[in-house]
Amino acid sequence: MNTVILPFFLPLLTATLLLLLPPGKPRRWLAAFSAFAQLVVAIAFVVACSGGERWVLGVGAWMPPLGIALVIDLLAAIMLFLSSAMAFGCILFGYAELPSKLDHPLRLPLWQFLVAGINLSFITGDLFNLFVAFEIMLISSYALLTLEANDRDIKHAYPYLAINLVGSALFLLTTGVVYSIFGTLNYAEISQRAAAMPGDSNVTLVALLLFFVFAIKAGVFPFYYWLPNSYPTLATPLGAFFAGMLTKVGVYVLLRMFGTVLPHDLHGVHNLMAWLAGATMIFGVLGAISRPFIRGILSWHILSQIGYMVLAIGLFTPFAIAACILYIIHHIIVKGTLFLIGGAASYRLKSGDDLKNMGGLFRAEPLLAACFLLQAFSLGGVPPLSGFWGKYIIFVEGMKAGEYVLVGAAVLAGIMTLFSMLKIWNGAFWPALPVNAPVQRQPNYRLMLAIIGVYTALSIAIALGSGEVLKLSITAAETALDQAGYIEAVLGLQGKGAGY
Amino acid sequence: MVLETALLVGLLFGIAIYLLLQTSFVRILFGIVLLSNAVNLFLLGMSGSPDGKAPPITSGEKIPLVDPLPQALILTAIVIGFGITAYFVVLLYRLFLDQKTTNAAEMFHDREGDK
Repeated sequence: MNTVILPFFLPLLTATLLLLLPPGKPRRWLAAFSAFAQLVVAIAFVVACSGGERWVLGVGAWMPPLGIALVIDLLAAIMLFLSSAMAFGCILFGYAELPSKLDHPLRLPLWQFLVAGINLSFITGDLFNLFVAFEIMLISSYALLTLEANDRDIKHAYPYLAINLVGSALFLLTTGVVYSIFGTLNYAEISQRAAAMPGDSNVTLVALLLFFVFAIKAGVFPFYYWLPNSYPTLATPLGAFFAGMLTKVGVYVLLRMFGTVLPHDLHGVHNLMAWLAGATMIFGVLGAISRPFIRGILSWHILSQIGYMVLAIGLFTPFAIAACILYIIHHIIVKGTLFLIGGAASYRLKSGDDLKNMGGLFRAEPLLAACFLLQAFSLGGVPPLSGFWGKYIIFVEGMKAGEYVLVGAAVLAGIMTLFSMLKIWNGAFWPALPVNAPVQRQPNYRLMLAIIGVYTALSIAIALGSGEVLKLSITAAETALDQAGYIEAVLGLQGKGAGY
Repeated sequence: MVLETALLVGLLFGIAIYLLLQTSFVRILFGIVLLSNAVNLFLLGMSGSPDGKAPPITSGEKIPLVDPLPQALILTAIVIGFGITAYFVVLLYRLFLDQKTTNAAEMFHDREGDK
């Protein structure tokens, strides 16, 4: 159906229309309305794919393998839901942050371009198109990173830019290698041809190249140093969206590549992934403990959490992949909320988010403190909150595979996560307010709190309905791992007209 | 023809990586420009040796054509690379105006500036 293109087309159209409108209120209304519409479309796709269906479109009536195929299965639909849910809430949070006159005129259009790039990389079925999607996403993120940065912080954009450009060059190179080995860039056809050459070292080469490219994008050890210094320079709502979504696009593509496209017997590459993931967990959480300010701590935590997801892919059992998807769902919501809470706390105290200068929030804002505690324990994996279930399954699958060292590292990283969350609690929430510290409420503090509350409620809902969410993740994992079904759905399009 | 291209690609990659490892941001910029050109040339090599093949635009004659797909990919990559290079140069200029230096070691010198 042509509706498959909507998750890409809607934000692109909105971005263009936003540029035509005068800055201020009109842009805000259009962006909020469009973000809501995208959320509705994404929910519709989750419902439509929940039985393991695939929606395929050959763009411009070019039938695969000739044209570009767009494919939405349950995994892609879940990711679309998460990206539009995060975008909707964070855009509204941005409205609460500043009066509409002070909006940077380019923030909302660029944000929509960013969402368009992210969504396209979820639904595309073509490697070069994935490259283009990544470029749309990255170019918007470069611009957003420097748009409102102050003179002191803007330098952190340079390493971000440089490492991502090297990553993009490597990605393009990989595309070339894939084309020369398989003679195609269509996922389904690559999968078909890779399966026909078992034990060929060329397939391992492609797998390694793809892993390194997306390890850079996802921030896996040792390619992570660009991330934790650049994210804290962003404005709060953008920081929350970046922290929630951007690296997870890398994880999603790893899932897609190793689950759907490449053969499942690449044990060496899977092992490498698992061990690098273990290192990512430990180094990420150590970095988090060493930081003295909230967003720094949270940025380093992104890395440590990426470690869990990649470890789950590295274990490569169907159940571990399902746990990875469950973990992504939990992580995007919880991490986004924690960034928003950090932002709300620093507005409340007018002190920035340096823990030395903060305090008294437990007394002044008990609701905010409650949300923080819930989300922090969830991030640390305290049962029965949402973070526990994904971690638990990853531990069990790791024990079954005999990877005791990696499971030990994961447990250790979980405990240290809690420790660093306590550091934020002891710095910002629990102690008395420093004397003479200015305290004020933003005019729209209630809206901020409402958005944080909704996200917290969502993560509690995941915890309470974890059985249902797990079932959904298992279906998503099964669909993503079913290569024969994928090939049939995409390459069988020819006989069925423009799409089904 | 393929061998010469391969040698050139290798040379370009070598220079690009050397430049990327310098502390001067200007050299890193040049390194990235070279790197993207090296990759474009590598992609061109993917269509194989052009000896005895016709350009893909000819019509009617029954001779083998050069594979046009890598060329289409390169065209897209060049456009993207051009845009990013332009942005990169402007960012570098802004950094130079703010910090009065383009050397990474000097720019990131202050440790409390880690934020």
